[in-house]
Amino acid sequence: MSGVHAPGLPEDLIRARARRGTAEAFPPADTYGRQLFGAGDTDSPAGDPRVSDELDTARLVPPVFMPQRLEKLIDLGREPVHDDVDLTTTVGGFASPLPLYVSAFGSTRVAAGDAGIAASRQAGRLGIPMVIGENLVPVGGYRRDTATRSPILARLRAYADACPPDRGGVVVQQSTEDADSEVWNLVYSDPSVRGLVDSGRLAFELKTGQGAKPGLGGMTVVGADDARRLADRFAVRDVLGADGWLRCATPGTFTEEILRQQVRFMRNNFPRARVWVKFHPGRDVAHAAATAWRAGADAVSVDGAQGGTGWAPRAFVGQVGLPLAECLRRIGRPEGCLLVTGRIWEGGRAVRALAAGATAVGLGRAALLAVDEDAEEGLVRLVQALALEARLLVSALGRYRVDALTPEDLWWPGQPAPAPTGAGQQPVAPIGGRA
Amino acid sequence: MHTTDDPAQATAGPPPLGEHLVAPSTRAAMTIQQEALYAAREHLRGQGFTELLPPLIGPVTDPGGRGAKALDVDYYGHPYKLMTSAILYKQASLRGFGKLFYIAPNVRVEPPETAGTGRHLVEFHQIDVEIAGASRDDAMEVAAGLLTHVVRHVLDTVGDTLAGLGRDPLAFAELLTGKFDACTHTEAVERLRGGGHPQSADAEIDWVGEETLSREADRPFFVTDYPKGSRGFYDREDPDRPGVLRNFDLIAHGGYGELVSGSEREADYATIVTRMRESGENPAKYDWYLRLAREGIPASAGFGMGVQRLVRFLTGLDALWQVSAYPKLPGVVAP
Repeated sequence: MSGVHAPGLPEDLIRARARRGTAEAFPPADTYGRQLFGAGDTDSPAGDPRVSDELDTARLVPPVFMPQRLEKLIDLGREPVHDDVDLTTTVGGFASPLPLYVSAFGSTRVAAGDAGIAASRQAGRLGIPMVIGENLVPVGGYRRDTATRSPILARLRAYADACPPDRGGVVVQQSTEDADSEVWNLVYSDPSVRGLVDSGRLAFELKTGQGAKPGLGGMTVVGADDARRLADRFAVRDVLGADGWLRCATPGTFTEEILRQQVRFMRNNFPRARVWVKFHPGRDVAHAAATAWRAGADAVSVDGAQGGTGWAPRAFVGQVGLPLAECLRRIGRPEGCLLVTGRIWEGGRAVRALAAGATAVGLGRAALLAVDEDAEEGLVRLVQALALEARLLVSALGRYRVDALTPEDLWWPGQPAPAPTGAGQQPVAPIGGRA
Repeated sequence: MHTTDDPAQATAGPPPLGEHLVAPSTRAAMTIQQEALYAAREHLRGQGFTELLPPLIGPVTDPGGRGAKALDVDYYGHPYKLMTSAILYKQASLRGFGKLFYIAPNVRVEPPETAGTGRHLVEFHQIDVEIAGASRDDAMEVAAGLLTHVVRHVLDTVGDTLAGLGRDPLAFAELLTGKFDACTHTEAVERLRGGGHPQSADAEIDWVGEETLSREADRPFFVTDYPKGSRGFYDREDPDRPGVLRNFDLIAHGGYGELVSGSEREADYATIVTRMRESGENPAKYDWYLRLAREGIPASAGFGMGVQRLVRFLTGLDALWQVSAYPKLPGVVAP
């Protein structure tokens, strides 16, 4: 080095690239499998970790006058309290005690093995739907041998064994690489999954995009041996330096017609399974969601570009994709069941998303952290805390059903005040001569 | 001795293989199958078709539909598939053989829910026909002619065997006139909905719907113009009516259901790739087929006639397993 400096440029970052090349386009590969990355973390353009996007800046705004509280009072014959809020709902065709589901974590190292099983078991106990992520079969296989049960079957069984028979459901994703392994056909024709099929608690999710890296496919870091083994199914690239290889799935090609026909194909081929479609937060998300619903999808899920369990280039985290609030705004009043994910872990953000139009919200990285904290009870406790907060917030808004929330329950900074409504807008004569 | 012409037995499923193979009804069915295959070969050869023997495994197979799965084969370390149908090879073969057919064995791991339809086996055979330069009407005419010829030959040669199974030859009287009815998928859906059956307008006719239509008919009939999204990428989309396929099924009367599925084929490379994506397929795994499509595959039409379904229709037996020597029902592990 000759001591050249360039004030105003991120000199350290530039010099790091000059030393390590493409490896610097990603977080340090040796943190893969331990760190769940996302917008607001220390590796991305940061802010207050509690305020990650516009949705977190909105406030829930209870009114003073609450006609729905009066309805509930009449119904109960006593003043309603937060326990009276009914959070049960239908999530993508499944009965769920809460407007909540566990969103997908696929073949990533963090979710592999015990964590994925623990999350499945606890989601089953809670009776909330659970999505099983992509690429499990091309990576982990689909063996029947119980001693070496495949990751996908192990998660299905763990969930089904713990779940009450009248609620919940399992959603199996399929990406382009999964299609090669015929994941849906494998699951649909597997006698051990028949109980879920017969009770209407199996869905398939067409995955069209990645929340953490909109426009790209799934990415993980693998060792040299796995890189060789997976090279015929995935693009495996030596761009991370000495600590690993980058395994890339393809995002798949979609047009309006391709999406419409794939949804119809799913309905045609798996008439007893529900159909979910997952989108990245694309700028045409409203058009895409409407296309899916009109083709017969039971649910559309939108991943809010917040992070993930896999791997993402630094240039994507916090820099690519619409913020979740803008997705909800563009979709407006949804034509069908709308599910959203992205940094959901407590009641405030969950209820804001529900008020903005979502039918239910998904727990992703938070679920993994919870089962990492306590493999038996962590997710159950996290959900109990969220549910309590949700009941408090919804009741504060004078609502007693979760589907009674509306965008009127939200205030956005800078938003002009709504025109006064109701009888109070009539001019009232000053009392006692006061002006 | 065990006999398998009892409807209750048909519903219960096959007895142990040793018993099934000595059942009189199995022997009768094999006699009729032999004559049906003889007649099919005779008829097609007489029309200038060449019989090829189909491949059994390949890097890809017909992706099929309705939840049926292909079986994997480890082929020198490469993941190969047992043929669910040899449609891709039929199209490729048109380069050397303008009119060809197979008597093709196929394996489809059907979802367990099809075990009770009486119309599904995991292992089955098709009379698989492809005709270069043909239209859908041409293929329908060949299918109708083939069925008529086979029925006439079987009645002429093994009528006593049919009689022994209780099959009334009058059941084929209308068929032998050679005049088959036809309706579109849309019309079939309307008829089913009119009768109170909730048939989806943009999906395959479901098993109950197909059987209902079949029972209402007194002769075989074609259903044409299935919606895209209900069939494979190789069925040609009507260029004048987007979303509608230039395909057909031939449904037997009397409740026996579909005997034949056929279509004009997509032959244009870019259209095939797009249609693959629309059916959720990864074009990369069809490499050998797409290379040929880039070089040029002749336009064609063709069909597959299910051998066991044909024999069940001829014999009048209740379930498809009764006309297979080695039946494998969906979801039931059998030798």
